[in-house]
Amino acid sequence: MTHRYIKLGLTAAVLVLAFAGLMWSTLQDGTEYFKHVDEVMTNPQAWEGKPLQLHGYVVPGSILKRQDTLEYKFKVQNNPIRDVNQGHVVEASYTGIVPDTFKGEAEVVLRGKLTTSGFHTEPNGVVAKCPSKYQEKASAGS
Amino acid sequence: MASLGTFLLLAAFVTCSYAAVVSVVGARRRSRRLIESGIGAFYLICAIMTAASAVLINAFLTGDYSIKYVVHYSDSVQPILYKLTSYWGGLDGSIMFWVFLLSIFGSLAVYVNRERHRELIPYVVATISSVNMFFLFLMVAHKNPFTTYLTAAPAEGEGLNPLLQNFYMAIHPPSLYTGFVGMTIPFAFGIAALITGHLDDSWLRAVRRWTMFSWLFLSFGLTLGMIWAYEELGWGGYWAWDPVENAALLPWFTATAFLHSVMVQERRSMLRVWNVTLVIVTFFLTIFGTFMTRSGVVQSVHAFGDDPVLARLFIGFMVVILTFSFGLVIWRLPLLKARNELDSWLSREAAFLVNNWVMLFAALFVLFGTMFPTLSEAVTGTRLTVAGPFFNKWMTPVGLVLLMLTGVGPLLAWRRSSLSNIAPQFTWPVVAGVASAALAIGYYRIPFWPSGLCFALCGFVVGTIGQEFYKGAAIRSRNTGTDLFTALVGLVGKNKRRYGGYIVHIGIVLICFGFAGNARKLDEQMLLKLGASTQIGKYTIKNNGVKLLDDGQKQMTTAYLAVFVDGKEIDGLYPAQWRYRRHEQEPTTEVAIRRTPAEDLYAVLGGFDLADQSVTLQVVVNPLVNWIWVGFGIMALGTGIALLPERSFAFALAKMPAEAAATTVALLFIVLLSGGTTLSAQQGMGGGENTRTSFYARNPFEKQMQHEIVCTCGACGHQTLAECRKDNCATSHEMRGTLAAMVDQGMNHDQIIQAFIAKYGGEEMLGAPVDKGFSRLAWLFPYLVGATSAIAVGFAAVKWTRHADAPAAAPAPLDSALEERIDDELRDLD
Repeated sequence: MTHRYIKLGLTAAVLVLAFAGLMWSTLQDGTEYFKHVDEVMTNPQAWEGKPLQLHGYVVPGSILKRQDTLEYKFKVQNNPIRDVNQGHVVEASYTGIVPDTFKGEAEVVLRGKLTTSGFHTEPNGVVAKCPSKYQEKASAGS
Repeated sequence: MASLGTFLLLAAFVTCSYAAVVSVVGARRRSRRLIESGIGAFYLICAIMTAASAVLINAFLTGDYSIKYVVHYSDSVQPILYKLTSYWGGLDGSIMFWVFLLSIFGSLAVYVNRERHRELIPYVVATISSVNMFFLFLMVAHKNPFTTYLTAAPAEGEGLNPLLQNFYMAIHPPSLYTGFVGMTIPFAFGIAALITGHLDDSWLRAVRRWTMFSWLFLSFGLTLGMIWAYEELGWGGYWAWDPVENAALLPWFTATAFLHSVMVQERRSMLRVWNVTLVIVTFFLTIFGTFMTRSGVVQSVHAFGDDPVLARLFIGFMVVILTFSFGLVIWRLPLLKARNELDSWLSREAAFLVNNWVMLFAALFVLFGTMFPTLSEAVTGTRLTVAGPFFNKWMTPVGLVLLMLTGVGPLLAWRRSSLSNIAPQFTWPVVAGVASAALAIGYYRIPFWPSGLCFALCGFVVGTIGQEFYKGAAIRSRNTGTDLFTALVGLVGKNKRRYGGYIVHIGIVLICFGFAGNARKLDEQMLLKLGASTQIGKYTIKNNGVKLLDDGQKQMTTAYLAVFVDGKEIDGLYPAQWRYRRHEQEPTTEVAIRRTPAEDLYAVLGGFDLADQSVTLQVVVNPLVNWIWVGFGIMALGTGIALLPERSFAFALAKMPAEAAATTVALLFIVLLSGGTTLSAQQGMGGGENTRTSFYARNPFEKQMQHEIVCTCGACGHQTLAECRKDNCATSHEMRGTLAAMVDQGMNHDQIIQAFIAKYGGEEMLGAPVDKGFSRLAWLFPYLVGATSAIAVGFAAVKWTRHADAPAAAPAPLDSALEERIDDELRDLD
């Protein structure tokens, strides 16, 4: 009987280890850090090259689009636009179609990597959050 | 009216607590009167919730803007259908809808089983009432849909989000809720069985159909969500591993596992703890999914927003469910002991067991991935997220293993198989698998991993199922002396669960087939100037300009694209953006899709410039995607057959084989014929008449032009030429005639438009292109049929279970079990 349990235990241990190993290795290149602009820009060197999801707000009037292309350049700040203090600001670039909700003041999450020349957003990496999409936050708190 | 609604919710809460307490007390004291009283109160909840729903719907229909919920989710110009769907458009109403559905399902389940499972009923009533109490408490204490304004109420509502004003969105949530809520019934019976200790297989029989029914609606809801994402949101794909999607997928995995392992318990009296656990876990996951999407724990495109109070309430409820249920399981462990052990790993029950593990693993994995951002934030303080590729990397092998098991399982016998007697079973399926692999990898040059392997496995599974059908029919035909076809129908009729299940598997194969098409997906974004063109796959797409129209309710911007293959214009695509009144900031994308069985050409209008007529486009080529929807239709059909009452198909089992065959053939003929007429009706648009003033367009191009040009008669309210069919409307007749003549002259789209502008002056007769209303309807057809049949079957099932008290029905399960065993043994002899 004990022999059987040892066998079972060993099998389980091997399976768990193999699983954990696989999980670890895929998690290594599958994960992205979710960070606010401030967290990243206080020490930009530490974050360069790492996969990031950068949360911030588009600075109004900062969106530039190169004529006849889909290349965008814009600035993202840490704090909501209505705040007096902007927080850190980062330059971002993107090539592709932007969502309709992407405009000045919009809350955005950008997926991509930080480089010395600014934040480089990967294709389809712009998610512009519209707080009123399903339920307005203001009304939820009543 | 609002106070009436609040009062009804309170009354429902009180009635629930009464039903719960009185049932438990009645069961402990064995007092028939108390139990009956509990059941009565239970039915009453259903009545109260119906009344409360009527109050809410009335408020929406009459535009009672003193109620906050009505203001937030409707306005006066909304079509009636969407006023109705506003009921579950927001958080508060969706909770109420949940309670409403649960009270109906609960009453149905109790009514149907009240005699046969008399000992379980009081606890079923108590369990469902307790769940209802939780949700009612949520509403009464925190999220009352009937909350009114303390000060002056607004005069007009804010309107439902335009994204939700869509046909699929009208039926997607109720379908998912039906699936979610339906899972409470098996849970209640499981708990009742645990409490009473009646842990034989009778409770399983009571819940099997409910689980299948809920599973069907869950699948339907998931599919509708995929269609919505694909056709309305303009994702270019259908699944993005969004937390809310995952939430609906989790219970689907465990419910699927339960549907399989339940067979092992019925046949071999094994896995009894496992089955109870699966039922509990499935229910738990439905609550957990609701919690995830409603409390803002995870970030998602369609989560309802942060709500810490709600989160705490839900967490409390989930802890109670887990401790209570698993406490019961541990207490009853001695009674749940398996009567048999696994004889061999080369047996069908072992295949089921592996299937269960993989399913459970899939559920746990998706749960882990979905919660990973929240978990990592709690553990390390840094929010780490995992994206789609991570899920795909893990779920692809999981899916392939499941697909393989689908093919292997039916080939193994119960108890044990020996290698020598299963080898011949594998011959034809393996041949089919290798053949499809050769076709996919050798001919179409598809990479082996993962799509090539998926195609191979699809072939293998189809081979297995085909062989099962053929062998079964052959044996039956020999034994009953009927022809092969009648035997086949009889076989399915005699053993609906088994062969219905195989049909479901064929649906699954088609769905996997569609998923595998992703390997050849092309996805490009570009900016096209007027007259410029781009190449994607075999298609060349040319920008013919942008037009802006306004129909009073919304502003429509449409891009006119022409599609060329090998230099020949084959079709037009008209992606658009619509901006609804009061929602100008949230334009909805109207995707243009050119569907073919082999691939979809899919275009989304991302942006436009009216000044220089340039457009920004996302163009996607999605191979095989339509097979997913077809696969779901077949799945629904199979589930419908498995749900059918035992006595249907009687004609095929008739003693007189010749007549039976004739009936079958006649019936099939009728079905095919009616199918054929619908098909030809669909194509009727292109009828062969050559009359120039004919109502009907003779080819797709002419039809498209008829839809683009508006009748100028002034009497029909700007209907398009395709719509203005009044007999006395000479104008539209004449215009259609002119159009037909132009088409005959071989003029292209732009020339015709120019000619019409020249003839009638101005652009007033240009309508917004309706490029999809019709084709959409046609595509909706298969799953509408599936859904209707499923609902019909559900009713039949309810009716059947009611009559089952009759003595005649009692031997039926025994008989079918015997039949199946004979079947198995016959096959082993082969």
